[in-house]
Amino acid sequence: MEKKFFQTSIKDSLFTGLIALALFGPIVGLRTVAKNEVLEVHPKWFIVLIIVIVCAVGRFLTNLYVYNRDQKTGIQSSIGKSISNFLDTKGYQIALTAIIFSVIFPFLPFTDRYLMDIAIMMLTYIMLGWGLNIVIGLAGLLDLGYVAFYAVGAYSYALFAIHFGWSFWICLPIAGIFAAMFGVLLGFPVLRLRGDYLAIVTLAFGEMIRILLLNWYQLTKGPDGLTGIPRPSFFGLPFKSFPDEGEQTFHTFFGIEYDPMQRIIFLYYLILVLALITNLFTIKIRRLPIGRAWEALREDEIACKSLGVNPRNTKLTAFAIGAMFGGFAGSFFATRQAFISPESFTFIESAIIVAIVVLGGMGSQTGVVLATVFLIGLIEVFRDFESYRMIAFGGAMVLIMIFRPRGILATRKPTITLEKSSSK
Amino acid sequence: MSQKLLDVENLTMKFGGLVAIDNLSFSADKDKITSIIGPNGAGKTTVFNCLTGFYKATAGSMFLNKENERLNLRKFSDFKVAQKAGVARTFQNIRLFPQMSVLENLMVAQHNKLMDASGFTILGLFNSPSFVNKEKEAVEISKYWLDIIGLTHRADDDAGDLPYGDQRKLEIVRAMCINPHLLCLDEPAAGLNAKESAELNKLLLFIKNEKKTGILLIEHDMSVVMEISDHVVVLNYGKKIFQGSAKETKNSPEVIEAYLGTEE
Amino acid sequence: MDTAYFLQQLINGVTLGSVYGLIAIGYTMVYGIIGMINFAHGDIFMVGAFIALISFILFALTSIALPIVLLLTLLIAMVFTACYGWTVEKLAYKPLRKSFRLAPLISALGMSIVLQNYVQAAQGARIKTLQPVIQGGFTFMEDTGFTVSLSYLQIFIVLVTIVLMAIFTLLITKTALGRAQRACEQDRTMTALMGINVDRTISITFIIGSSLASVAGMMFVMYYGVIDFYIGFLAGIKAFTAAVLGGIGSVPGAMLGGLLIGLIEVFWSGYISIEYKDIAAFTVLVVVLIFFPTGFLGKPDIEKV
Repeated sequence: MEKKFFQTSIKDSLFTGLIALALFGPIVGLRTVAKNEVLEVHPKWFIVLIIVIVCAVGRFLTNLYVYNRDQKTGIQSSIGKSISNFLDTKGYQIALTAIIFSVIFPFLPFTDRYLMDIAIMMLTYIMLGWGLNIVIGLAGLLDLGYVAFYAVGAYSYALFAIHFGWSFWICLPIAGIFAAMFGVLLGFPVLRLRGDYLAIVTLAFGEMIRILLLNWYQLTKGPDGLTGIPRPSFFGLPFKSFPDEGEQTFHTFFGIEYDPMQRIIFLYYLILVLALITNLFTIKIRRLPIGRAWEALREDEIACKSLGVNPRNTKLTAFAIGAMFGGFAGSFFATRQAFISPESFTFIESAIIVAIVVLGGMGSQTGVVLATVFLIGLIEVFRDFESYRMIAFGGAMVLIMIFRPRGILATRKPTITLEKSSSK
Repeated sequence: MSQKLLDVENLTMKFGGLVAIDNLSFSADKDKITSIIGPNGAGKTTVFNCLTGFYKATAGSMFLNKENERLNLRKFSDFKVAQKAGVARTFQNIRLFPQMSVLENLMVAQHNKLMDASGFTILGLFNSPSFVNKEKEAVEISKYWLDIIGLTHRADDDAGDLPYGDQRKLEIVRAMCINPHLLCLDEPAAGLNAKESAELNKLLLFIKNEKKTGILLIEHDMSVVMEISDHVVVLNYGKKIFQGSAKETKNSPEVIEAYLGTEE
Repeated sequence: MDTAYFLQQLINGVTLGSVYGLIAIGYTMVYGIIGMINFAHGDIFMVGAFIALISFILFALTSIALPIVLLLTLLIAMVFTACYGWTVEKLAYKPLRKSFRLAPLISALGMSIVLQNYVQAAQGARIKTLQPVIQGGFTFMEDTGFTVSLSYLQIFIVLVTIVLMAIFTLLITKTALGRAQRACEQDRTMTALMGINVDRTISITFIIGSSLASVAGMMFVMYYGVIDFYIGFLAGIKAFTAAVLGGIGSVPGAMLGGLLIGLIEVFWSGYISIEYKDIAAFTVLVVVLIFFPTGFLGKPDIEKV
């Protein structure tokens, strides 16, 4: 190894260490702690030292890797390619296996309440991801306020269920339509904005909805939230352990013991079905003219205009349909929790869903599943580590953008092929 | 005498203080090829952008004369020009959908009629026969054009993977898929070698003769212009300095001066 | 009494507006030079606030005179926060300069999340309070029934802002750096071909923007006395609104926009409702982006077909 490389590397590492000291010294090294209403500063030099050393050494190793890599071929990109190829060719088998697995999941021996809850949460995010995938992945509209439609769905479901007593199956479509209407309302003025600006405006909308929910006490009970949302029933049969006089419940109807897991399992299948409907809908609509127009719009809006495609209506449709599915997911959320408050609908939720879609590979259905499992899994596994898991989450977003900007599954298959259609 | 397909009168386009097009008047015939030539910066692409609704012309009129109607192109915004008026165009820097397949590119061009057939998607979701048939028809039309330019074997490849010359041809036939009355081509021969230029000429003559579509052509490549133009309009600094047949243009002193300058 | 009340809102609005303006400059400069919205910029402001806070606490243990403390804290905040700005650019944005449009935005989003949670992890999630550093001020119009107060702190904030703006405008218009920056804004490739170190120009842009944001952070912690790791998000959006309102890409526009937003927020709180004051800011953002995207001093963006 050349001496020059060594020298520059050492200088580089020292510089990195210095920067690390400047960064982590004040914020990590001087922790402010409240003692009797007054803040004191507690030095934490040891941690800073460790971090600085890690940074310097890490920098050195990275330089080494790059140096060596320039001598050999790039392993990294070929790993990515083989994963993509594997997933492409075995696509159907994998999807089928995944579906079968998710159907039998509740009855597997190791599945307990905790795992079921995680599974339900993941499926909710997967559904939200598939919904947002229509907006970002297919139509290429960066929506940073998707949580607004989730919230509209949840709150409209809750309000209809609480005040009118309608069943889940009636409130769900209504909530979806409400959310879609909001989508049109919000989308109409802003969809002609350029990418970055659209992102900020949608973010602003998301926050405005949250602030509205927080402050409109008469309607939404503000920060107290809405309680007493009717729990779901199995087509009219409630999941109660102690049935009222003459009332049939789920377990009495089927002649089995009451088990609190029954409601959970029902909820699980409910979200599974909802998510799969979202997925099937998306797959189908990609093959229809509107879906193709979305993707064309994403590629080149000017070319689309020159072909007579109406960009505003096309974008609005994507926005509204995406909003609708967000609304459905919100309804599910409301009935599952039986309690909702504005706290569940913060910007970070929008950011997580956006991360899922982009990291999964824009437009890729399977990618959304993989990204959800990875990201939500990351957040769950490190649940005890509070802020650190979010640092890892944000870091993952940055790293994936740098190393694999097109997402995990970046390839796209055409929705219509000449061989298939002419062989009829 | 047949009425001209396109009548442009006193067209003016100003960007702030800059006059890009100055009182331009010309006509184009259907089933004829009209070329617009001139040095760089003469305002040629600006004319296209005004015609196709991407710019709002400062003054002047542009009329498209179809069988039974006379359309004022100023009233049509960008996508409506293609959708309702029937004016198609291609771009100086090719604007295909690179990540979509060749066939998909052509299918997008047939979007509007397919959207109608899909009953705003509802019928399409349920695979209604009328939609399925319309889609088959669209595929046939796509195949027809692909055969003409010899790209049928690459129908399912990404458009961005095609060699440059093929991309140009694809962009042209994609524009034809919207069944236009007027086809505006912005420097279609740019970057093509002699053989590809000859193929381009063949394609454009085919479109003119078989499809009876009027063609408006911006070009620098004189082999293309001289070979296939029925009529030539010469611009310089946004003004028309000459118009006539290809032969007349070649010999016109004004044109020679604009391109080459005068003798000292 | 009404005039007095109005005057008070005016004073408060200008003070708050100066803070927003300082942050907005960072947004507008970065957008001008690399065409991206630096989502993490608001959190840089937050880091600046924390560093200023720590600095004040430490200096309080010494007996150094107040003016020196202020000056040193200003410099300390600027230097250390500039490191953050520089590092974020090198790590998260530079690798993505040639990538598709959304990539730097997502990366910035990730960086914003990292910064917020990093400060939360390092400093604790609870809010941090600071004893008032500069106290006292003028009062007048007591006889009208409403006392208008103009605190020394408010004067300090506005003065520092003016001085920084002056230094900074000189820097932009008169020096080679400023010229290099404007060249990069127009055409990066060409600028590089002319022998200008584009990377360095961009880095310096981030450094300047972050320093100014840190000054805003220092002012913020002095003015409100309370900060937490989340202040960057809200201030960031408002400052971005200010940048757009003033004309994205224009530095004087950013300050103008900042003042306007500060005034709007204070007047809204003072006359209409304080709970919905953030909605007021968001509404301005939406309205400006939809109807008035070039802002007051910005240049219209004609897309070439």
